[in-house]
Amino acid sequence: MISLSRALETGDLSLLPSRRDEDWRWSDLRGLIRSVPPQSQDASAHGDGPFTAVCDESMLIINGGSARIHLAEGESKTIALRLVSRAVGTQHHAQVLIDLADGAQLTLLESHEGDGSGYISTTDLDIRLGAGSGLERIVLTAEAADVIAVSQAAVRLAPNARYRQTTLAAGAKRERNETQVVHPGQGASVRLDGAYLLGQGHTDLTSVVTHTGEGGTTSQLTKGAVAGQGRGVFQGRIVVERGADQTDAKMGHHALILDDRAEVDAKPELLIFADDVACAHGNTVGQLDETAIFYARQRGIPLSEARAMLTEAFVGEVIDRIEHEGARDVARAWAMEKLRGLA
Amino acid sequence: MAAVTKTVEQVKALEAYEHGFVTDIEQEFAPKGLNADIVRFISAKKGEPDWMLQWRLEAFERWLALDEPDWANVDYPKIDFQDAYYYAAPKEKVGPKSLDEIDPDILETYKKLGIPLREQEVLLGVEGAPRYAVDAVFDSVSVVTTFKKELAAVGVIFCPMSEAIREHPELVRQYLGSVVPTSDNYYACLNSAVFSDGSFVYVPPGVRCPMELSTYFRINAAQSGQFERTLIIADAGSYVSYLEGCTAPMRDENQLHAAVVELVALEDAEIKYSTVQNWFPGDPVTGKGGIYNFVTKRADCRGDRSKVSWTQVETGSAITWKYPSCILRGDGSSGEFYSIAVTNGRQQADTGTKMIHLGSDTKSRIISKGISAGASSNTYRGLVSTNHKAANARNFTQCDSLLIGKTCAAHTVPYIEARNATAKFEHEATTTRLSEDQLFYAMQRGLSKEDAVALLVNGFVREVLQELPMEFAVEAQKLVAISLEGSVG
Repeated sequence: MISLSRALETGDLSLLPSRRDEDWRWSDLRGLIRSVPPQSQDASAHGDGPFTAVCDESMLIINGGSARIHLAEGESKTIALRLVSRAVGTQHHAQVLIDLADGAQLTLLESHEGDGSGYISTTDLDIRLGAGSGLERIVLTAEAADVIAVSQAAVRLAPNARYRQTTLAAGAKRERNETQVVHPGQGASVRLDGAYLLGQGHTDLTSVVTHTGEGGTTSQLTKGAVAGQGRGVFQGRIVVERGADQTDAKMGHHALILDDRAEVDAKPELLIFADDVACAHGNTVGQLDETAIFYARQRGIPLSEARAMLTEAFVGEVIDRIEHEGARDVARAWAMEKLRGLA
Repeated sequence: MAAVTKTVEQVKALEAYEHGFVTDIEQEFAPKGLNADIVRFISAKKGEPDWMLQWRLEAFERWLALDEPDWANVDYPKIDFQDAYYYAAPKEKVGPKSLDEIDPDILETYKKLGIPLREQEVLLGVEGAPRYAVDAVFDSVSVVTTFKKELAAVGVIFCPMSEAIREHPELVRQYLGSVVPTSDNYYACLNSAVFSDGSFVYVPPGVRCPMELSTYFRINAAQSGQFERTLIIADAGSYVSYLEGCTAPMRDENQLHAAVVELVALEDAEIKYSTVQNWFPGDPVTGKGGIYNFVTKRADCRGDRSKVSWTQVETGSAITWKYPSCILRGDGSSGEFYSIAVTNGRQQADTGTKMIHLGSDTKSRIISKGISAGASSNTYRGLVSTNHKAANARNFTQCDSLLIGKTCAAHTVPYIEARNATAKFEHEATTTRLSEDQLFYAMQRGLSKEDAVALLVNGFVREVLQELPMEFAVEAQKLVAISLEGSVG
């Protein structure tokens, strides 16, 4: 079985995903990892995470480790989960179990913070949502530039559960955020959003939503802006299994390419085995509207500012869909800062 | 409305697969199996020069080293490549000079299929009706090509590939394998080693081909494969429209059809290539039999402002694996792909296109309509890509899938690779079933459910049908309705 974690664990580099593996065709790892680096040492973190000011409590994992978040029936919390890497040329693995009892409500503010260089960070999240529970997960990545970071989340929903996710990615040498959702239908709903803003480096937002029961809804919106030599990858797959009728699934991916050396690769997939469904996807790759830039400049706004404003509005649609007010403000500030970097 | 009524009548009047008969004629075969001697046998049968034989042998060597691809969304038992005949031809008198010397059974076959092989027959009917030249390929050989003289008068070469290798070696050597190299993929490589016939078209500079050209492929012999090779070259400023059709008898065994089609469009040239594919799809209930249609089709828009348009209506075959592509190399060149893929019964189709933008100011357009019914599976798989230097590349893609019934599947797998700040790519896809409201509306006005479905399906695929030459559009419309027969419960 092809897997970065398995390859690092067993030392068998032939298990590393390569461009020959369909699901990793734009995020090759075999060409990057020539030997298994040593395990990262324990370290301490300093300062606050990006969400510290807007959460009820904070959890910290430095250079790998494991954690469990459990909410009892009807409980409601906002938890910041900081996954910090302080390493040079080493590797570490984090394992997080999130378990919501029926009716529990969690806002998970997850930040991947990098401080060091050349490390490999892998994260596995196992997320289980009880009946009628709700989880809003905001993921913000700020890894060091020359590292490999792969985070994989497996999400299972019970009927009437709500799962909402927004991933804000800033890239690394290779960065992948993968989400696999098993969607039972029966009143459950999923929102899977993402935004990537790259001036260099690579980021890969991959998701698979499998509808297994009747009457599920999924709404997906990903936006990206890539400048310099950045490379943005979006792979979204919606599967509707036999019998999962009355599924309503929409997927949108829209990206701006701002420089000739930049690249955007996308594969929005629909695999449908039931007939009474309404599934659609849209994908566009292009540039900012020249007329809108002209309009702004005509009103005295300098070109770089006009571009930043329009790009902000473009990405803003994803940020506006974040329900947690504090997290939305953090996300907006993050986007502004990144956009200034791109300009 | 008249066309729809006709379609409905056609559906009622015909069996599900009307071309499933076998022509009982004396045929000669190469020994069963595949090895270098079989490749030599085919080459010798065709009276080929040594360079061609070497080309084939080299391809065969490469094929031995390749692995069969398994990434497509299709499922079939492993093919035993040694359990088939790679050459089958009707026994003929030495070099038939006219149609009268061809086996009357073969002529009867084409008559039954509705393909006019006698030039005067084409002219029957309404005065001024469009004419089209036919190259009829029966198993491994071309039995007749019509209107050759009239085409030659304007400099157009339209002949079987085997004849082109003998008569126009300079053109064949220059272009054969230049779009689909021998080692391009497993089936293209196999084809390069064992291809038997196919059509060759050359349109000289500035010439607009005076009639539609078409090739009709018929598999007749049992346990044989068909491996035709088609090469069309449109020289600077020329235009040609070409259509291929295909049928095969109903048999319990699977037969392999692995063709290669190469199109070359030079400066300001335009090629319109249409396919109406109606190979035997296999038994709709058990899935037994049917053709494995593993085809490589690619166009090279080599010249500036050249244009290639692919239109395909895919209704047959047990398995279809086919991606007609355009390499948009010339500045300002454009590629189009219009497709209707209908699957019913146990059919599986994995088809789509590739638009590879290499030149500046290139444009491409993809319209794909997939219809799945019965227990079939229908996948659209397409690639749109541009490199760092291809300024102002534009693409628009629309793929819609229609599901009829609870046990079918429809998949959309697009790949988009944009590497340029001036690229504009748009893609949209929908998957739905037939609208209950529209069905109700149609039935309320007295149409039966089957007629109402035919009407709605015709509306769904209309955008693509419009791209076909008129007489084939009517044919294709009937074919779509026939393929869906029995899918409404």
